[in-house]
Amino acid sequence: MEDNKNIDITSEAEETVEVSEAKVDEVEDSEVPLDKKVRLMSPTRMVVRRFFRSKLSIIGLIMVIGLFLFSFVGPLIYTQWGEIELDESGKTEYATSEVTYTVDGKEYTVRQTTEKFLKDNFLDAPSSEHILGTDNEGYDIFVRLMYGGRISLIVSFLAVILITVLGVILGGIAGYFGGVIDNIIMRLCDVLICLPGIPILLIISTILDSSDIDAKYRIYLLMIYLTFISWPGTARLVRGQILSLREQEYMVAAEAMGYSTSRKIFKHLVPNVMPQLIVQMSLSLGSMILYEATLSYLNLGVKAPYAAWGTMINIISTNQDILQNHLNVWVPAGVCIVIAVLGFNFVGDGLRDALDPKARR
Amino acid sequence: MLKYILKRIVMAIFILMGVSMIIYFLIRLMPVDFIQDKINAINQGGATVSEETVNAMYEMYGLGDNSLMGILEGYFSWLGSLVKFDLGTSFVYGIPVADVIVEHMGISFIIALIATVFEFLIAIPLGITAATHQYSFRDYLVTILVMIGISLPSFFFGNMLKDFLALKLGWFPASGLVNATVSYSGIELLVDYLRHAFIPILTIVILSIGARMRMTRTNMLEVMNSDYIRTARAKGLKEKKVINKHAFRNTLIPLVTSLAGLLPSLFSGAIITEQVFDLPGIGNIALDAMNRGDIPFIMGYNMFLALLSVVGVLLADLMYAVVDPRVKLE
Repeated sequence: MEDNKNIDITSEAEETVEVSEAKVDEVEDSEVPLDKKVRLMSPTRMVVRRFFRSKLSIIGLIMVIGLFLFSFVGPLIYTQWGEIELDESGKTEYATSEVTYTVDGKEYTVRQTTEKFLKDNFLDAPSSEHILGTDNEGYDIFVRLMYGGRISLIVSFLAVILITVLGVILGGIAGYFGGVIDNIIMRLCDVLICLPGIPILLIISTILDSSDIDAKYRIYLLMIYLTFISWPGTARLVRGQILSLREQEYMVAAEAMGYSTSRKIFKHLVPNVMPQLIVQMSLSLGSMILYEATLSYLNLGVKAPYAAWGTMINIISTNQDILQNHLNVWVPAGVCIVIAVLGFNFVGDGLRDALDPKARR
Repeated sequence: MLKYILKRIVMAIFILMGVSMIIYFLIRLMPVDFIQDKINAINQGGATVSEETVNAMYEMYGLGDNSLMGILEGYFSWLGSLVKFDLGTSFVYGIPVADVIVEHMGISFIIALIATVFEFLIAIPLGITAATHQYSFRDYLVTILVMIGISLPSFFFGNMLKDFLALKLGWFPASGLVNATVSYSGIELLVDYLRHAFIPILTIVILSIGARMRMTRTNMLEVMNSDYIRTARAKGLKEKKVINKHAFRNTLIPLVTSLAGLLPSLFSGAIITEQVFDLPGIGNIALDAMNRGDIPFIMGYNMFLALLSVVGVLLADLMYAVVDPRVKLE
């Protein structure tokens, strides 16, 4: 392991350039040796500092963390209602109408009030019992928002992790080996990029209808298709980076040291692609949440009685009354989607600026 | 140049073959009795699917024979009919799928075209001001606004606009493309169309402006840092001239390329927006077709979309070679 040290220093050649922002302490003491005057900052610390300097990234981070707490910790604290627990306390509806009777040529107008007892307490206005009211079935909206958030976040994280793993492995192989393998993988990417998204999901969803799959797991299967058509983006990014990194001196050194191929790829090349990869990941988290919501809105993904943000908005496509008069049923879910996507986009943008070695701010 | 174009076209054909294989694989995944169920459901819904149509579809896709040779044979017979632009007969409409697509893609195209024109007209100036005033208040404001636009789900924002502008304020019609109760003609008809299409177009523009603006901003920033801009400033040109004549022209390269790539996709239809506003565009028709189990239509539609995106990639690459003389043709 002793002789490895040498090569590790060279492999960080890229990073040492980054330490140019080292601060010179203005201590005018000639007895302090020169290297003590200079406070070196690790590249990671520098990135973190740059990230937190931008207000937008902080706002994005707060939005994302807030949503995580809301959806994963929220249901543990607020246990009044469950995800598929109907409010069966019932309610009484009064309807008043005027009825005109004609008796012996004289008209009598009678005001008639009908009292109707409904078993489910649906479309309730916000109250202390239901923070955001109930939906058209009698489910508590506030609680369903939390469970919807769980699904959205879990599904999109899984999808993004899968996309990244696939993209890094295949893009890495293509970029490193080149030649025929590169050609095959890149042509596969060309094909997959041309596949339509939502329209094919319509077909897959119909196929899933024909096989009896638990309503809870449909969305995972649909997201697998999204992963399948989305990894080429990451693969292209990784490949492009590796093509340029391959020519660097430290790779020649690694070659001379006789390292194994996998070590060269995963220890020397992939870490240098990480910055772009992290940015790509946080931006695609946002788009995956949008995809999930759209699928659920089209009633392809998470289906009733389970909650998803898209599913909660789905009702307005058939029910004009809710669209116009019961904003509390569908607007909160939409706001949640916007917060999630915006949060991830802000964080991704902040990371991009923080990780850019050319940025001077 | 000619050699390059030919090479790219040959490649596009191969990509299309690959895409068609995947799409064909999907229909093979459908159980046959499931297809029969769908047909029965359509028949109960009022429309009649003739025995001929069903048999023609089975024959076209080579369904029924599940051996490897059967699948291969089915694929190539389907591919053969694709080459002749024969996409089969729609179950729901009872006419060839290609006719249904041609009939409805015009509406989608016009709406998308108007939206794209506005998108470029608004996004490019915004991107340029954001870039020339980098890190200023203006830059942040524009960036935040377009970021919100990018983050809005189309079905949510579309419904919000519909609820507010159409249902609450009543300024615009809420759905459809024509007023069914009055029969207009000439100019009045055009105005009626535009009134109906206003909110959908507004939705599309607001949602898509962000990506274009950010693209302009990034490119503009890159160009503003190049040496010839410094030279232009050093020789005392007015800032206006530097930006409009030297910088902006070079920002156009990626914009023109992306526009070329975008053109074919304008025909593909915005499924969600068309569904929200109940427009008779190709996207809404496809969604409806799928919900009703019109398998030939949805397969044809997917192939149509794949063709559009392959053509889009091809056009973008060719355009890139045309507008940027630095691109080497290999």
